[in-house]
Parts: sequence; C-alpha cells; structure tokens
Amino acid sequence: MQILGPAELSNRILARDLCTLCGACADLCPYVKSHQGKIARLFSCDKETGRCHAACPKTGVDQEKNSSSLFHKPLTENPLGHYRSVHMARMGSLITREKQGPGKEFQNGGSVSVLVIAALQMGMIKSAILTGSHGIIPDPRTVTTPEDVLECAGSRYIAVPTMAMFNRAASKGDENIGVVGTPCQMAGLANLRTNPLEFPDFKDPTGIAIGLFCTWALDGDGFLIYLKGKEIDPAHISFMDIPPPPAKAAILTLGNRQDMTRREVKIPLEDLRKLVLPGCAVCPDMTSLYCDISVGALEHDPGWNTLIVRTEKGERLVDYAVEKGLLTTAPISGESMDGLALAAQNKRERAVSAQRSMGMLDPEFQKPLKPEPQKTIMGFR
Amino acid sequence: MVNLLHDPYNLIITGVGGQGNVISSRMIGNMLAAKGFKVTIGETFGASQRGGSVMSHVRISSKATLSPQIPVHRAHMVVSLEPMETLRVLEDYGNQDICVICNTRPTHPIGVISGRLDYPSMAEMEGRIRELSRQSWFFDATSMATRIGDPIFANIIMAGALAATGDLPLERSLFEKNLKSKFSPDKVTLNLKAFDQGYAMI
Amino acid sequence: MSVLIRGNPGDTHLMMGNEAIVRGALEAGISVAAGYPGTPSSEIIETLARLSPNTDPDNYPDIYTEWSVNEKVALEVAAAASFAGLRSLAVMKQPGVNVAADFLMHLALSGVRAGMVLIVADDPGALSSINEGETRLYAKLMEIPMLEPGNFQEAKDMTCWAFELSERLNMPVLVRTVTRLSHASGSVTLGTLTIPDRRAFFRFDGEVLDPMEGPIMTPPVEIKHRSQLAKLDQAAEIFEGSIFNTYEGPEAPELLIITTSICDLYSREVVNLYDLGNRVGILKLGTTWPLPSRTVLERLKTTRKVLFIEEVQPFIEEAVKVLFAGSDMVGQGMAGSGEAGSGTPGSGTAGSGMARPGIAFYGKLSRHIPMAGEMNPERITRALETILDLAPGLNGGYPVGQAETLPIPPREISFCPGCPHRASFFSINMVLALDNRRGFTCGDIGCYSMGMLPGGFSTLKTLHSMGSGSGLASGFGKLGRFGMNQPVVAVCGDSTFFHSAMPPLVNAIHNKSAFTLVILDNSGTAMTGFQPHPGLPVDTIGNQVPSIDIEKVCRAMGALTRTCDPFDLETTQQYLLDCINDPEGVKVLILKQACALSPQKRHTRSFEVKVDKELCIGDACGCNRICTRIFSCPGLIWDGESLRAEINEVLCVGCGVCASICPSNAIVLKEI
Repeated sequence: MQILGPAELSNRILARDLCTLCGACADLCPYVKSHQGKIARLFSCDKETGRCHAACPKTGVDQEKNSSSLFHKPLTENPLGHYRSVHMARMGSLITREKQGPGKEFQNGGSVSVLVIAALQMGMIKSAILTGSHGIIPDPRTVTTPEDVLECAGSRYIAVPTMAMFNRAASKGDENIGVVGTPCQMAGLANLRTNPLEFPDFKDPTGIAIGLFCTWALDGDGFLIYLKGKEIDPAHISFMDIPPPPAKAAILTLGNRQDMTRREVKIPLEDLRKLVLPGCAVCPDMTSLYCDISVGALEHDPGWNTLIVRTEKGERLVDYAVEKGLLTTAPISGESMDGLALAAQNKRERAVSAQRSMGMLDPEFQKPLKPEPQKTIMGFR
Repeated sequence: MVNLLHDPYNLIITGVGGQGNVISSRMIGNMLAAKGFKVTIGETFGASQRGGSVMSHVRISSKATLSPQIPVHRAHMVVSLEPMETLRVLEDYGNQDICVICNTRPTHPIGVISGRLDYPSMAEMEGRIRELSRQSWFFDATSMATRIGDPIFANIIMAGALAATGDLPLERSLFEKNLKSKFSPDKVTLNLKAFDQGYAMI
Repeated sequence: MSVLIRGNPGDTHLMMGNEAIVRGALEAGISVAAGYPGTPSSEIIETLARLSPNTDPDNYPDIYTEWSVNEKVALEVAAAASFAGLRSLAVMKQPGVNVAADFLMHLALSGVRAGMVLIVADDPGALSSINEGETRLYAKLMEIPMLEPGNFQEAKDMTCWAFELSERLNMPVLVRTVTRLSHASGSVTLGTLTIPDRRAFFRFDGEVLDPMEGPIMTPPVEIKHRSQLAKLDQAAEIFEGSIFNTYEGPEAPELLIITTSICDLYSREVVNLYDLGNRVGILKLGTTWPLPSRTVLERLKTTRKVLFIEEVQPFIEEAVKVLFAGSDMVGQGMAGSGEAGSGTPGSGTAGSGMARPGIAFYGKLSRHIPMAGEMNPERITRALETILDLAPGLNGGYPVGQAETLPIPPREISFCPGCPHRASFFSINMVLALDNRRGFTCGDIGCYSMGMLPGGFSTLKTLHSMGSGSGLASGFGKLGRFGMNQPVVAVCGDSTFFHSAMPPLVNAIHNKSAFTLVILDNSGTAMTGFQPHPGLPVDTIGNQVPSIDIEKVCRAMGALTRTCDPFDLETTQQYLLDCINDPEGVKVLILKQACALSPQKRHTRSFEVKVDKELCIGDACGCNRICTRIFSCPGLIWDGESLRAEINEVLCVGCGVCASICPSNAIVLKEI
C-alpha cells in the first residue's frame, strides 16, 4: 500500500464522495480541516506523501502493518479480526438505568460508557474523545469526568469527523487519550499510530481505543433534510434505535424521559438506506478490527452488548471494570458468535466487490497523480 | 556641444520598484538636458511599488527628439540595480556591443522568496552577462551605499560609474552643481562621496 | 515641480508629459481642477494639489483642486466652474470617461462657458490597467473636438490652446494622452503663466439659446444638436491651419504614414533608423476630431500607399477611409500611371472593371499592425518590412543561439509586506474553504485587485470595473431561487465604496439579495499613490474636512454591519463565518487596517518578528511551509539550506500576522 499525498487523497477520495467523515486526515496540518461536521481543504499542499493520505482508511489500510503494530501478530483471515476473548456485557450494578440522570440514554448494554468511566478511574486515560450529541446531531467532545461521559451515551447514526478532535488533542501534546469510534475511525487511528511517515520524535498518545460495530452511517445534511420533510425537529430526538432484522423501521424517540409528550416515531429502513454515505459501501469492517476493545449490539438481547477484547490493554480495562462493579460480563453463545462472524463476513464481501467496481483495487489507485501545471494570470505574455 | 559616442545614445536603467530608478534617470536626464541635448525618458512604473520590475529608457540625441521606447536590441548601455533584471533587459534590448554596469546585490522576487522558484547564482548570471556584452562591470553598490549611510545611494554610485565610462558627458562638476541646487551641504558631501566611489569602480 | 510655477517663459526643462499638461493648464489660467485617481493620469491633479495653499495670489495662480468621489462628479465639478466663468480642467484615465460618459454627452450638447478641457489618459497595452480601452471614440460619439499631443512640448501647448478652442466654440475639448507620453519625460520650453482675474458668477437670466447668458441645458435638443454639429464644422475649419498637424518627408512619398500621439515619435525613429527618409513621409495629426479633411486629402493625393500608426483602435484609419470614400479621389483614378492596389488584403482596391483609386491602405484593418496591445518601434518595423519589401531581420541583436538566456524567474507584483489585504484574503479564503459550498468572491478595482493573483490566493473570481463586484454580487445573491447555494462575497475598497459601490449596495438591500460585502478599508486610495477620499478627514490638499463614516452609511442603508481588524485573523474569520452562515440579506464586514504605505503606518512597527528555527518544521507534513509558500509575504524568506523559514528584517514591517498562521507557533512576536 503506497503512502501518497493530499492531491491523491483529494482527487480519489474526497472529490469522489468516498469519504466517510472519520476525520483521521483532518487537523493534522493547516490544509485539511474539520469544520461543522465536514472535511474542508484549505489552500493547497503539494507534498508527495502526507499523513492525511496515510491515515485515510479508504486510500488503503495497511492491514499487515496495523496487525503487527497493534496485536504483534500477522494478518488474520477471520472476519472478526484478532481478539483474545468475546463476551456479552452490560453496565454493572454501580451504574444502573435508574441512577442515570435526565440526560442521555444508554444504547443496549451501555458498555462503552462504563468502560470509558473505568479507564478514567483507573488512570489508563487522562481524557477521552467521545461523540456526544445535540438531539440527533453528533457533537465530538473531549471529556474528563464520569458525568461528561454519561452525557455522551447512546449511538450516533450520523457520520462526524471525531478523529479530527483526537488529532487536535494529540498536536497539543495531550497524552493517554481515550477514543471511541466507528470502524473507519479506528482504522484511521490505527494507521496514524504506526507513525506512517516515520517521524523521529513520534509518540503514540492513545490511552485506549474502543471501537463500535457499524454497518453504515448517514449523511448528516441528507438526514436533516429528510427529517425536516417529516416535520421532525432533529434537536428533539433523544434516542434512535435500529432493531435487529426482521425489523423494517428505525425508531426515533422524541423528547427525553422527563418529557410528558415523549413519543416514538418510525422511519422506514428503506428511506434511511438512501441516506447512507456512499463511502460506507466500500468499508469491509463491521466490528472495528483495529482497536483494543470492540463493542456492539447483541443480536437477541437489547439489554446487552457484544464485547470483543482484542489486546492485553483491553483485557486489563475490562478486568478492572468488572472488578469495580462498573461492568458485568457473561459468556457469549456459539450461536451468537456464528451469527456475528457471518454478518462480518458478508459486509466484507460486499465491500470488496464495491471496491473493485470503484477501481479502488486497480494498481492505478496506488500510483501518484500527474502534477497539474499551475495556471496564473501573470503567466501569459 | 560634445559629440555623443552614438547618436542617439540609448541608456537603460533597470531595477526593482523602490530602488530609485526614477530618481536616477531624471538626474542623468536633467544633467544632459542642461548641456543642450534632446533627452527623452520612457518609464515603466505604476505597479513598481508592488515589487515589479522597472525600466527607464534614457534616450539622448543632439539631433532629434526620440521616442520613449528604445527599439529592440538597440541599447548601448545598461545600468542595472539588480542582476536578474540585467538579464531580462539584455534579452530584449541587448546586442554584441552593449556595455553593462551591474549591481550584484540580488532582490529576490516573491516566487523565489516563497521557495517556489530558484534564483540563478551570481556566478551564472555574471558569466551570462559577460557573454552577452562587449564590456561589463560588477560590484555590490548596495553594500557600498549602506556603508555611506543608506541603500538609496546605490543610484548615485551607479551614476558615478556611468560617468567614469566616458560614454556620456557626465562631469562631476555638473553633478555637484545639480546637487547644490537641491540639497544641504552635508547631503551634497554624501552624494559626492557615492559618486566618487562609483567612479572608482570603472 | 516648482519649475512648473517658477519657471520663466523661454526656459527649457525636462519634465513628464503629465507635468507639461499641468504647465499648459497654468499657462491657460485655470481656476479649478477635478479628477479621480487613475494611472497614468494621477500626477496631474497631484501636482496641482501641491501648488496649494497659495500664499502669494498676486504672483501665483490660486487653484481649487479636488479629488472627486468619482469621475462623473469630477467632470460636473469642473463644468460648474466653467459655467461660472472660470477655466477648468477635468482629469481621468480611460475607464473614468466611461463613468463620466452620461454627463459628458449632455455637456457636449448643452455646451460650456469658460474654457473647459477634459484630459483623458489611455493605457494601451494595459501597463497599469485591466483594460486597454480607446477614448478617442468618445470624441466621435459625443461630438466634441479632440486633440492628441504627439510629444512633450505639444502636451503643454495643446493643453493651453485647448482652453482657447473651448471658449471659441463653447464646447468641452478632449485632450487625449497615453501612458508613454504622460509618464515619459522630455524637454519643454515654457510659455507665460496666466493669473486669472475672474470672479465666479453663473449667469442664467439671458435668452435660452444664448451660450454666455442663458441657462445651460440640453433642450431644445434638435436645435442644440444642430448647433453642436455646426461648431464641429467650425472646429474642422480651425484645424485645417493648425500647427499641431505636421508633415515631414518627400513631397511624393512612396509610403505615407498617418499617425497621432506618441506613435509619431516611434514612426520617426523607425524611419530614421532604417534610413527611409526619402521613401516615407509622416503626416502627424494633432487635431484628430473632427479630422481636417483638406489637410488629410491633400496628403493622400501624393502617394499610393498609406500606413496608419495609432493605438489602440483603428480610429484615424477608419475616419480617413471614410473621408477618402467620400472624396473626389474615388472613381476617377489617380494622376499618373502605376499599378492599382495589388490585391493586398484590406487595401480597398478590389479587382473589378471600375476605375480604381490607386491607394493601398495598411494598418490594423489589414492586420499589418496588431489590433491589440501598445505600439512600439518593432510593430512599425515589421509592417514596413512587408510594405516596402525590406530585408528581414532588421532588428539586429545577438547571433542566433547566443540569445538564449538563463531561465529567469518572473518578477510578479504582490502585496507589500504588512498589507492588510493579504491578511483579509487569507481569511476570506479560509472561511469559504471551511464552509465547503464553493463560495466565491467578486472583485473590484484597487490594490486588492491583486487578489486575483496567487499572492492573493487567487481569491477573486470576477473582476471588472469600479463598483462592479458589489453589483454582480447583488445579482448572484438573488439566484437562490434557481438553486444557487454558493455563498457570495464581494470585496471593495474604501475609495471604491464611495466611488460606485453604494448604489449596488442599496439595490441589494432593497431587493433582499443575499451576499456579504467585505469593505477593505485601508484609509486611502492606495494603488494610485495614496490619495485621500471622503472616508478620510483630510481633503486633496491636506485641510481638515468632515469625513463620512462607512460603517454608519451601511447601517443607515439597512445592512447588518460589523467592523474588525483584518490583522486579527481569528475575529475576522469568525465574523466572516457568521456572515456566510446567514442565508438572508446583505451583510457588511468592514476590515479596517491602514495601508502599509500610508503616512500613519510608514516607519512604524508593532512587533519585532523572529522565527524560532527549533520550532519551525519547514516543509514537513503538518506545515509544508505555509508561511512562505502560501502566505508569501516578502518579509518571509524560505531558507533552502536550513530548510526553515526566516524573517527578512529589512522588508518585514512587523505587523505580526504571520505568527497567527504558523501551525507550530514558531513565529515569535515581541511587542515594541
């Protein structure tokens, strides 16, 4: 996999709508920035190789390199990636739904929130980059207290460049940063953590990386227009859930738990499918292959999560969280494992096929672009 | 009236905006006009303060009033405050008999300063200028001027050098008279010092 | 300059064309001069302004000089003086006449009273302009007499005489000059200064058609128009004997060059250079509208070949051809034998059985002279090589091959170190890029026009004439209903604002157009030499006067208006974001910071600036030398050896803006 530069990133990914807004390319430099939920290119950088291109999960993930660097193991064919153990999990007795404040609601088992709280508590991380929200509109933020973590509870369905916030924190010199993100965000993070341009004084500021399961994400602009058409105020949506198949609709909850007029609205899944980011079609990763712990839904029980522990560090965190009563784990059934592996395999196959049709597997995709001559008004005689 | 070496005599004074091109050409023009020659000075300025090239075509004749543009390849002398501009001028106005007095202090254009373009080396430029002229002189008039007190004196130094070539009747006494009518005595002294230093370079 | 006032009649001095024009106006005894800054005409008003205040009115003329808000008003101010019996001068560059044209047309029809001269300076080749328009067509369109000085002496003499002509005809007279005359210098022998002794009084009680006593207006139109045409005929007659039309050469030249303006000097030079004096005659016309037909036709009768040398448009060429077509020379053949025009393209001698006139006309219409660009000796040489069958390669130069010089980098013009426009355009570009909706900026005229160049981040996407950026934006801002969702930004300068951006702003507010107007207020009319304008509390000659507050005006019109300092990048970018995020109405953001060359800024510094080379990461990923490569202030140097940025302490003026741009905080500021 070739590391190329901002021109190739721009031309092949950003301009072709293949970007899934992970944000890993953004805020590393003055030329690629995250702004109001989008990736913006400022002025023009003419470098032949750049971290932006190296970070982007769509330009090509160096799976060998990531495997070796994160797991100290060679590449695996297993659609679930490398892992040490898989469990079902949910928040422990210390934090219950009843104890939850009037703010955000947990998704499924609430495991992500409690893991982050545990990591802060044990000093594994000094801060965490999470994606909170304002209604349905995602809002990346840096948190340092359990209350702030809880404010970010719940799944986000709209893509937002959270990794840009990580990049900003890293350039400030922050250390031991926790990150929660989607598979593409985790892949971007993993790419950056390998020090792709071999900077001599590179230090990995990641404290813990918690990846989420993900099949697709929505284009924020499109979704907001859709909601406006249905006269739904995006700021009023307190919760969104997509039940497992054979469900044909997503459920939006309007109003928070204190609200007397709280109600649920169904959105047909086929409507949502039209609003999915095109770039999601080429993503082969369902369970966040490149992180310390991956967390997602458990197919048969909405009160629990599937928890994939991938690294030694992840294991330490889970053990601590369980020990402190923040997290409860239980063995996962073989049936659930098989179901998960199949779903992951299917996503991978669909993605590879889509990549092929987009030309992303062609050798040309790995070659530098021919430089364009700069045209200026003063150049004419 | 003295006979000119060539009639018309075509002098180009070139440099970068702000170096005093216009002061120089007017001063030389006035000195020669005072001697009864018909002088025309054509200038390209306007955007000069924004860092562009400037060029003065100083035309001298005892016979006719000349146009403000020297016909291509017909200049006799180039007095240049900037080495790269010398080459630019020679490209259009040079010929095998031309003489060049060149200030060697470069002023980098914005394309070079910003690292986009390369500035030729002084050795390369000097070599090329020598190839393209009959006779040429190179010295750092800017440093000399700074030592006298202000980079703007580079113009006067170059004027002194021009006088020393003998191509034009630019006597020191005339220059002194010109200065005295405009400046205070101490300024006159400094200007004369610059003139003399330039004169000595030939 | 002092020579212009103190020089004695008969003295000869080397002076600029524009200075000669000033002397001519002083010799005619003007009392009022008005104009708008425009290269290459600005020195005229500037020089006149320096003559004030007048401390010795008995020996030196007292002149009211004004930089008017725009050229139309300047012409009106000068006209008022003329109506009140004072000789007056209006000065502008070519596009200025476009602005003044409506009034000029009516003034031509109404007539003037005391002598009034309009000096217009064209810029063939656009040496300091963004067009190379042809003013001379206005003389024909407006039906007013026109003079074109061909050298420095004529610049003075014609300007002076133009007032006399104007008073004889009660018409404004157009004197047209070009850059190569206005900005060049040559010898001028002075005449006598006139100290005018007139009291201003506007007489209007007389009979309606009385040019000296009646009201001054255009109706009754047809009658006045006929009278105007009669005056033009009178002018043509006066021009027949004019000393400004000269001929030099043999009585029956093989080739007759008909030329005007500075092209006369080019023509003479080329003819002498190639020793063609016995073959080529040069008819120089100085009175070029209306053409003195007898003078021209008499010369045409002496030759078979005519070459027109003029710039920019084939104005004389077409006019002479019309004269020729209407003359007795057509249809009768010529005295003597000789080949009919040998089918040279455009020669006007198509083959047929008719008796044909024996003249071949060469010029722009025959493509012997290029239609665009300025005249120079080479163009004339090329034409003569063909027409007179001369040996090619007359130009001399170096032997083939030797002339290949080193590749020399171009010397681009750019914003000065410390220019507020660089900071403003940097912010505008950043914000529009962050916004990600392909927003764009409509440009206008001033130093900030350089925003179209890479040094201005190629910000400007349209660029036309004074005030047009705002007008275009007013139009773009209404296209939302047709699906346009690109944020629209227009820029204009403080001087441009008063000149012509106010009406489009009113239009936009009233019609609910959605755009952001960024007013780049650098406290002066910078590009043309830092002249004052109504936004400043000083007038043309430096007196304290009321200033007009741009912010208050915009608010009074009803635009959402804010002001901030463009050197404060963060605030500027925040305000800009607010503006482009607001989908409705006109927002005005005034970026106020004095020009680096302004009197208040020159020789002052806010900061000592240094680059900490330890912190600078140079061309590495994460910076790629954004300060030198993108921001490209001349005060910032890229040191190719240490691969770090550096400050050029000579050029840096210490504005401190670059420090906000460095992603590594390597540019260190120390307050002074």
